[in-house]
Amino acid sequence: MKKYFQIFKISFQQEFSYRLNFIMWRVRNVLQIILTFFLWSSVFKNPQTEVFGYNQGKILTYVFGILLLRAIVFSARAVDVAGEISNGNITNFLLKPVSYFKYWATRDIASKVLNLVFSVFEITILFLILKPNLFLQTNLITLFAVLISLIFAIVLFFCLLFITNISAFWMPENGWAAQFLFIGIITDFLSGGVFPLDVLPFTLQRALYSTPFPYLLFFPLQVYLGKITGLEIVRGLVTSGAWVFILFVILKFIWARGLRRYSAEGR
Amino acid sequence: MDRAIVVDRLVKNFEVTQKEKGLRGSIKSVFSPKKQTVHALRGISFAIQPGELVGFIGPNGAGKTTTLKILSGLLYPTSGFVQVLEHDPWEKKSEFLKQISLVMGQKNQLWWDLPAIETFELNKEIYEIPRRDYEKNLEELVTLLGVGKLLKTQVRRLSLGQRMRMELVAALLHKPKALFLDEPTIGLDLIGQQKVRDFIYEYNRKNNATVILTSHNMDDLTNLARRVIVIDDGRILFDGALEELTGRFAKEKIIKISLSKEVDVKAIGQIGEVKHVLFPEVILSVPRSVVAVAAAEILQNFPVDDLTIEEVPIEEIIKKVFKGELTK
Repeated sequence: MKKYFQIFKISFQQEFSYRLNFIMWRVRNVLQIILTFFLWSSVFKNPQTEVFGYNQGKILTYVFGILLLRAIVFSARAVDVAGEISNGNITNFLLKPVSYFKYWATRDIASKVLNLVFSVFEITILFLILKPNLFLQTNLITLFAVLISLIFAIVLFFCLLFITNISAFWMPENGWAAQFLFIGIITDFLSGGVFPLDVLPFTLQRALYSTPFPYLLFFPLQVYLGKITGLEIVRGLVTSGAWVFILFVILKFIWARGLRRYSAEGR
Repeated sequence: MDRAIVVDRLVKNFEVTQKEKGLRGSIKSVFSPKKQTVHALRGISFAIQPGELVGFIGPNGAGKTTTLKILSGLLYPTSGFVQVLEHDPWEKKSEFLKQISLVMGQKNQLWWDLPAIETFELNKEIYEIPRRDYEKNLEELVTLLGVGKLLKTQVRRLSLGQRMRMELVAALLHKPKALFLDEPTIGLDLIGQQKVRDFIYEYNRKNNATVILTSHNMDDLTNLARRVIVIDDGRILFDGALEELTGRFAKEKIIKISLSKEVDVKAIGQIGEVKHVLFPEVILSVPRSVVAVAAAEILQNFPVDDLTIEEVPIEEIIKKVFKGELTK
């Protein structure tokens, strides 16, 4: 356990040695919030307007919520795994008594903590400036369900990201492209990062709910907003839990196969 | 444990995709990739005792690095048996990994953006080295390698030689019982090379550690390795004491003559190949089988002050090994 704590500490230092990068990344996030805020508040000018079950308060909460969730779920260092495989750096870890998964999970957590601290800070400031009419969930059981779904979301994303990245064992040159397309565009889109999924046709929504994607952002947020309740929550949690299991097994399998193919090139 | 390393009929093949040159070739290889099997190791066998220091030599692409990678569990062997410190390296058991280290001259394990001491601290936790041992080992390594003042310097600001020595510190903090070194002196200046060499020698002697070293640097081999294994094209050509390499591969002997009078060198050239002439000294190379006859002939026909018969210098043999000019 201690070794992972040390990894956590060194990751933090590493992030800080690229201070400017980090600051630019945060600036980008703030600009994004301001942009979407003004977009949606002009669409829902009249507080009485309701589209797809969203009024002004809920859509703004959705937008803020997505940004916060993105910081928690999508901020991950494991995007570097593909690069490590193709340039052979992964060799360093395979030689050491350390679990590569746990290593990256730890680095992810370090990155999430850092991003979370900053986004809470930013959101508080923006909240004070913009004074949006946000929806506050007060039911403790619901909040607990949100927490559970969030943990599942983090693990799900970790598995998806890792699987995408270790495709580099087979296609060392394609790691980045796969990542950009699959994680950057498809996953973000299907998980509700771009717009609420309930604006989609009903059959499509139902189909989506049997994939892992909505459980990354959309589902936890819907639970928070009280748009998914009771048995629906349980069903969602069971589905995402099942996906956690399935993806983890797939990940382990592909990892074992990939290692056999690995040729520690160029090093 | 009587054998630190056992390798038996080890085979490793790689599948390599061939790409023809240019854009057209790139496009073609997307649709019909041409696969080719590269035979990196074609069934090699050897055993190494605990505490031995063995040099692997051979031309580029002979399979030296592949062997080291298999021994440290990075590569999965196509077939054959491998055992290192009574473990199957591929299983990557913690107890195994805690006892080995692989250092590659062209690779960094140090965190580039942070001072080296941070990587050392991390390794301390990863290898679960007790604080007291860690401090003792660090002190010892840092002193031996002379890098004490650089511990807090960002790794990116170190020179190549300094970095290489830091790499050695990072690789040895956990006192590995088996140490694999791939070109440890590559790119270092003469003093740097000497420091690293002395260090490897000391480490091997003090800790009774098993060391395998590959190098293209002849001094590394002649100064460090008592035993060498010559690999070429995935096969072992020679395995034995360094001095025996000569007897085994030198098809020629060297005759050194000191002449008392200047004579026509061409006439001597008929007896053997003239390597060097600087009156009064002439150096000839003649096939081993006829060396006695050649010497007698020279003594009879030329005004000779002195004549000695010598083996071809070991450096010459190693040079030939690297050029891939030796065959069984």
